[in-house]
Amino acid sequence: MRQKSQNAIAFNESFKKRTNRQHVLSFAACAHCGTCNDSCHYFLATGDPKMTPAAKMDKIRQVYKAQKDWLGRLMPTWVGAKEIETDEELLELQDIVFGSCTGCRRCTFNCPFGVDTAALVGLARSCLVDLGYAPEGIKVVMKDQWEIGNQMGISKEEYLDTLEWVQEELQEEFGNPDYKVPIDKKGADFVYVVNPREIKYDPRSLQAAFKIFYYAGLDWTMGSEGWDNTNFGLFSGKADLGGHMGNLAYNHAKKLEVKRMIISECGHGLRSTKWEAPNWGKANPLPFEISSLLELMVDLINIGKIVLDPSKNPYPVTYHDPCNLSRSCGITEEPRFCLNRACVDFREMIPNRGDSYCCTGGGGAMSMSEYTGRRLEVAKVKADQIRKTGAAIVATACHNCVDGLSDVIKNYNLRYDYRDSKTPSLLRVCNVCELVAEAMVIPAEIKKTAAKAPQNAIKGKKVLVIDDEPDIIVFIETLLTDAGFKVVTANDGMTGLEKAKTEHPDLITLDITMPGKSGIQFFRELRSSAETANIPVFIITGAIDFRQLMYQKAVQAPDGFMMKPINPEVLLMTVNKILEKSVRNKTVVN
Amino acid sequence: MATVEYEGNTFNVDEDGFIDSFDGWTKEWVQYVKLQEGIDELNEEHWMVINVLQDYYKKNGIAPMVRILSKLTKFKLKHIYELFPSGPGKGACKMAGLPKPTGCV
Repeated sequence: MRQKSQNAIAFNESFKKRTNRQHVLSFAACAHCGTCNDSCHYFLATGDPKMTPAAKMDKIRQVYKAQKDWLGRLMPTWVGAKEIETDEELLELQDIVFGSCTGCRRCTFNCPFGVDTAALVGLARSCLVDLGYAPEGIKVVMKDQWEIGNQMGISKEEYLDTLEWVQEELQEEFGNPDYKVPIDKKGADFVYVVNPREIKYDPRSLQAAFKIFYYAGLDWTMGSEGWDNTNFGLFSGKADLGGHMGNLAYNHAKKLEVKRMIISECGHGLRSTKWEAPNWGKANPLPFEISSLLELMVDLINIGKIVLDPSKNPYPVTYHDPCNLSRSCGITEEPRFCLNRACVDFREMIPNRGDSYCCTGGGGAMSMSEYTGRRLEVAKVKADQIRKTGAAIVATACHNCVDGLSDVIKNYNLRYDYRDSKTPSLLRVCNVCELVAEAMVIPAEIKKTAAKAPQNAIKGKKVLVIDDEPDIIVFIETLLTDAGFKVVTANDGMTGLEKAKTEHPDLITLDITMPGKSGIQFFRELRSSAETANIPVFIITGAIDFRQLMYQKAVQAPDGFMMKPINPEVLLMTVNKILEKSVRNKTVVN
Repeated sequence: MATVEYEGNTFNVDEDGFIDSFDGWTKEWVQYVKLQEGIDELNEEHWMVINVLQDYYKKNGIAPMVRILSKLTKFKLKHIYELFPSGPGKGACKMAGLPKPTGCV
């Protein structure tokens, strides 16, 4: 056997110490079946077999086999068991775990055994970082988080000065010279914890969030300390740093005696602060709840504390699911709920939710310049996905994704043709809260916009209402008739289909759960017949499982969607919106 | 080290496409970057931001926070983003020949 280098020996030792039960399961369960190949954007874009998740992990799986697997210890060469021997191998490993994986966990969701490649990558990263084998960018950020307490080395003065500036701009916008951004307000309902990028470069998302809090009349505060929700403990695999960052935020929140901590739109920030750091920092149980700004916005919309007018965001908007939110935090419907109410034309990117592709900047990749070339090469997958939506704006709920996607857009020159511009502009990327704040109807305007009467162009249009509950039919019928529409009704799918053909409605409102022909069957048949395929459909349902209509089928998606119980204002607004759009499209065609 | 050719000028750039050394900056570099940044025409205000960034960088060796940039130029946040759609960190700094900001940006 070759003489091992000092670093290799140190790596093997710490690897052995840190391999836990989850790692062992993921190492042992992989059958190299190939299911994960197509799930990895590195493989999809390059077609390089070395870029498949299973192949990437083999470099460390061989160490696991040499150390833990009984067959590997008995007959190492037979099963390819081998510890790391040289510094070159460590560099090669660094290139794999930092430069060829963003820890997006898409492969885990596509793996029949649930092999958690990101956890294995984290294990290898933590062992490498200790030996100095890490991209410079990662080292710089780790140092800043340890020494200064935030990832961009922002001093307390600079932080407070920025908040004061945001306050000044908002005073002007609100027309209220007494407006104050609350800082260290003891006993507030929640403390808002942010991403340093918002302080240092882009406080637009702060302005948006503060505006929402202001008009909703919330009791909240910023913290003068522990305000960074990001955590390079996750990206470096270093639990001690992860615990340190978590505790900075937790301890300050405890001091302020708040009831909740709200995390601004940041994928890994929510995952680390809510789910990982309480364990890393041994801080459980926490005396307050942690949730995302997205969840808070949904509540505010639901209880009517903020009212949105989608016509303020007239351009097509799509949503990119940040990996950490969709695959590690279960946050997928909240942003859609907000965007469907804040924008006129919301379009799904396909695939989406738990099956979304990484923005290509995850896992700390944005801070690793060494790998930018490769990152942008494999971003082809994301670029194609965005291009197909035809959207002008890509909304997302993560600052890292905002920057990752902006790079993708610039590199692949993705543009949208606004009619009034002489050259098409690069697509815009923004946070969900910015569009929500934009759409917000300020209290003085609320009465004026509530349930507007339909425009002349859509007045007298015919709506077919399909629902099995007579009460609901009467309710919707009354609302629509009062608003100037003609209404025909059907109380099951079969009758509905007949009427769709004979009555030629301009719009169909459809319930999903009905006896006999279900709404889903109805919808597919409607879309498959040339006669009825183009009639706009507005789903009104109590069932949540409408998503198969939205993105699993080849047929064109429904034109609108709302959950029961029915909010009359939202119903009318959506009907108007769909009909106006279809009138516009017809005018263009003719 | 990668190089970029633009109208007879050669620039050395790093992996992120930022100019590798502040001393290599020329006005032609700005013209080159503006194409990628989706900026049609450069006006006086763009140049003001670029000059302020460069002065600050020469004195302090780092890029200023957007707060400082606004103080020095008297531009509102919204306006800075209108001038440089990809923002002061990645757009304006790149044009001014400053290094790429650290952290996840």
